[in-house]
Amino acid sequence: MVKSVSSGKIVRETGTKPSPTGLPAAYGETKLVILPRDPLWIFAYWEIDDLTRKELKKKFGANYSASRYALRVYDVTDIDFDGSNAHAYFDVQINPDANNWYINCQKTNRAWCVDLGLILPDGKFYPIIRSNVVKMPRVGISPIIDEKWGILQKEFEQLMQLSGLERIGKSSFDVVKLMKERWEEIVAVSLPSSLAVSSFRLQPKKGAAKKDFWLKADTELIVYGSTERDAVLTVQGKKVNLRDDGSFSLRFSLPDGVIDIPIEARSADKKMGKKIIFKVSRKSVKG
Amino acid sequence: MTGQKKPAGYWLLVLHAHLPYVRHPEYPDFLEEDWLYEAITETYLPLLEIFENLARDGVFFRLTMTITPSLAGMLSDKLLQDRYTARLNKLVELAEKEVWRTKNLPQFSATARMYEKKLKNARRLWEKYHGNILTGFKRLQDEGFLEIITCCATHGFLPLAIHRQAQRAQLSIATADYQRHFGRRPRGIWLAECAYQPEIDEELARQKLRFFFLEAHGILYASPRPRYGVFAPVFCPSGVAAFGRDLETAHQVWSADTGYPGDGDYREFYRDVGYDLDYDYIKPYLHSDGVRRNVGLKYYRITGRVPLDKKEPYNPEWASNKAAEHAGNFMFNREKQIEYLASIMDRQPVVVSMYDAELFGHWWFEGPDFLNFLFRKIHYDQKTIKTITPTEYLQIYPRNQIVSPAASSWGDKGYFEVWLNGSNDYIYRHLHKASERMVELARKFSRPSDQERRALNQAARELLLAQSSDWAFIMTTGTMIEYARKRTQDHLLNFNQLYDQILNRRIEENFLKDLEYRNNIFPEIDYRVYAG
Repeated sequence: MVKSVSSGKIVRETGTKPSPTGLPAAYGETKLVILPRDPLWIFAYWEIDDLTRKELKKKFGANYSASRYALRVYDVTDIDFDGSNAHAYFDVQINPDANNWYINCQKTNRAWCVDLGLILPDGKFYPIIRSNVVKMPRVGISPIIDEKWGILQKEFEQLMQLSGLERIGKSSFDVVKLMKERWEEIVAVSLPSSLAVSSFRLQPKKGAAKKDFWLKADTELIVYGSTERDAVLTVQGKKVNLRDDGSFSLRFSLPDGVIDIPIEARSADKKMGKKIIFKVSRKSVKG
Repeated sequence: MTGQKKPAGYWLLVLHAHLPYVRHPEYPDFLEEDWLYEAITETYLPLLEIFENLARDGVFFRLTMTITPSLAGMLSDKLLQDRYTARLNKLVELAEKEVWRTKNLPQFSATARMYEKKLKNARRLWEKYHGNILTGFKRLQDEGFLEIITCCATHGFLPLAIHRQAQRAQLSIATADYQRHFGRRPRGIWLAECAYQPEIDEELARQKLRFFFLEAHGILYASPRPRYGVFAPVFCPSGVAAFGRDLETAHQVWSADTGYPGDGDYREFYRDVGYDLDYDYIKPYLHSDGVRRNVGLKYYRITGRVPLDKKEPYNPEWASNKAAEHAGNFMFNREKQIEYLASIMDRQPVVVSMYDAELFGHWWFEGPDFLNFLFRKIHYDQKTIKTITPTEYLQIYPRNQIVSPAASSWGDKGYFEVWLNGSNDYIYRHLHKASERMVELARKFSRPSDQERRALNQAARELLLAQSSDWAFIMTTGTMIEYARKRTQDHLLNFNQLYDQILNRRIEENFLKDLEYRNNIFPEIDYRVYAG
C-alpha cells in the first residue's frame, strides 16, 4: 500500500510519447462474471456481443424491445447447479445500458450463481449467459465444534471476546486512512483562523471573524560574496562549497543578540589567505 | 536460553514492508519514486540500524518482516539505488545547512542536529551495503533474528483474480524471486492485504509455504470453531498454518484517538520545511517542477488538536522519553494479556501484532525508537513473554487444530470493498481478460523463438504490474488517483499490444525493448507458469 499523502503532479515534458488511450470498450464476447464484495454483496460485470444481441432481436422480434434485461440470482449453496436445482432465486432488473451491477443478496453464508437474461413481455425469463459461482465470505461463529479440540463454552466465549470479536470490521488500520484522519482533524481545528501563515496550505477563510490587529516580523541575514574558483572557503569555521564561478550565498536566521560571522578563504595551494569578520547585532524594540 | 523458565507466552511481531513497483527511467525526476526514497530514509534504514544494534548488543529479539517482491525488486535496482544516493546526499546537505541556519534558534537547533546525525547514520549504513540494503536484512535472517517472508509477486489481490493460473503465478513468481534475493525458499507469505478465501491455502501448499497471516475474523469465523481464538495458529485443510491478528495490539498503535503515534510530544508530519522555509533557500531540494512539497525535515510536534501554525517546536528528548514510556506501557500490557491468556489456555499463547512497516518512521517518526526500546525492555526487564517467529512457534507446537478459515482481508470493513467499489471496479474485466489471454498464450507457445519468449515474459510482467492491489487502493483513497489509473491502463495496453503482436507473429523489437527497459521487474520470470 502507498503511504504518501502528498498530491499533485509533476509536469512531464521530457520524452512524452503519445500512447494509445483508453482501455477496450468491449472484447467482443458474451460473458458474465460475479465477484464477492463482502458477505452480502456481489459485483457483477458482463458483456454481450453484437452477434448475440442481433440473434436475440431476430428471435424475439417485436417482443425484444418490450423485454427487459435482468439478472437472475440463484442460491446454489452446497449443490452442483444445473440450472434447475437452485434452492431459490430472485431477479434484479437492470438498466439496458449497464454493464455492471452491485447485488444485495440479503442472506449470508450462501453460494450464488447468476444468469443474465431477458424478462419477456409474458414474464418468462430467457437466460443469455451464466456466471461463475461464488461462495460468499462466511460470517459468524461456526456452529461446528471440533471434538478433538473441545473446550468449555464459557472459556470459548472468553477467548472469543479476548480475540476482539466485537471489534470485527468496526475499524480499519491503515496508514493512509490514519494520516487522512489526522489531516482532516488539523483542517477542522484550523478553520476559521486568520493567523495561518501564507505559506501553509491552510488558507484562512475569507470573511472570517475579525481578530485583534496584529503584526508579525522577523529577520534573516544573507551573507554572500566570491573568491577564486578553486579556493577553500569557510564561514564560521565550516567549509562552504563554492559555485562554479567562485561565488557563494548563505542565509542565517537572525534573532536578537550578537553574532560573529568569520569568513575565511585560502588559496588551493594553501599559501595565501584572506579573512573578513562580520559582527551583526539585532535588538527588537516593541511598542 | 537454556535453564530459563519457560515464558508464559509469545509476542509475534510482523512488519509488512511494501511499495508498488514505481521506476521511471524514462524521466530524470519522477514524483512517485519519492514513496521509495522516503521509506528508505525514514523506515528501512532506521529499522535496519536498530536491528543490527540489537544484535550487536546481544539482545534476544525475533521479528517477522515481509519484504514484498516488488519492494525487493526496487531495493536491488541499480538505477533506483543511484537516484536514492543522490537524493540522500542532497538531504544531508540540507540538514547541514539547517544546523547552521538554526544555530541561534535554541528551539530548533537540537532538532536540526538530530536530522544531521540521523541522515549521516543513514548514509553510513547505505554505503556499508553499497546501496543494496537487502543484504543487511538477509544477514539478520541468516543470523536467526529476522524471518523474512514473501508476498504475492506484485501485491495482487488474490480473491479478485478469478483465474487459478493468475493466482498461482503471483505466488510462484514471488517464491522464485525470493530465492534470488535471500538464497533460500521462503517459509511463509503475507497475502496482499491479508486477502484470503478458502482454497487459496492449497496454492500456498503447492509453493511449499508453511504459514501465512489472517485478519482476526478470518480465524474467528473459521469452521469448525477455533479452539484458541486468534492466540494459536490453525492448520488449513491443506496443512498450511494461519496466524490470526490480535486486535488489542492493533488498536494500541493504530487508533486515531488513543494510539501511541498521536501523542502531543511526537513529531508533526504535516509541518514540513518544504512549505515553511524561504522559497529560494528550499528550492534546490524540491522536485524540478519547483512545487513546494514535504522534504522530510520537520521541526514541530503534534502538540494537540491545534492548527498547523499553533504547533510547538519539537523536542527530540521529550519525544524519545515518550517512545520509551510507550514501549514500557506496551510491554506491560502484553505481560498482563499473555499471563491471563496462559491461565485459560492449555498451551503458551502467541499474540500476533501486524503493522505496515512504513508506519514506523515515515508516519510515526519515533516508531523505530519505540521498537528499539521495546525489544530491549522485553529482553532485560521481564520474563513473562518472549518474542518469536512463526517457524519457531510451529516447532514448539507442531500439532494444531485443522479448520477452514473464512474469506477476509485487513482492509476497511474486513472484506474486499476497498478494492472493489465504484471508483475501481472497472479494472477487473480488463485484468481478468488479460489473465485469460496470458493463459492462452502460455499454452499456445510451448516452443517459442528467443524473441517470442522475451515478448511472452514481458507480457507476464505487464499483467503482473497491472494487478498490483495498490492501484485499486489508491483509486479508493483518492490521492494520486491519476497515477494509479494511468499505471493500470498503461500496463494493460502494453499487455494487449504484446498479445496481438505475439499471436500475429509480428513482434516489434523496439516496442519490446522499450518495455523491457522500463518495466524490468522480475528479470528471471518464466511465463510458462501460466500454462498450468
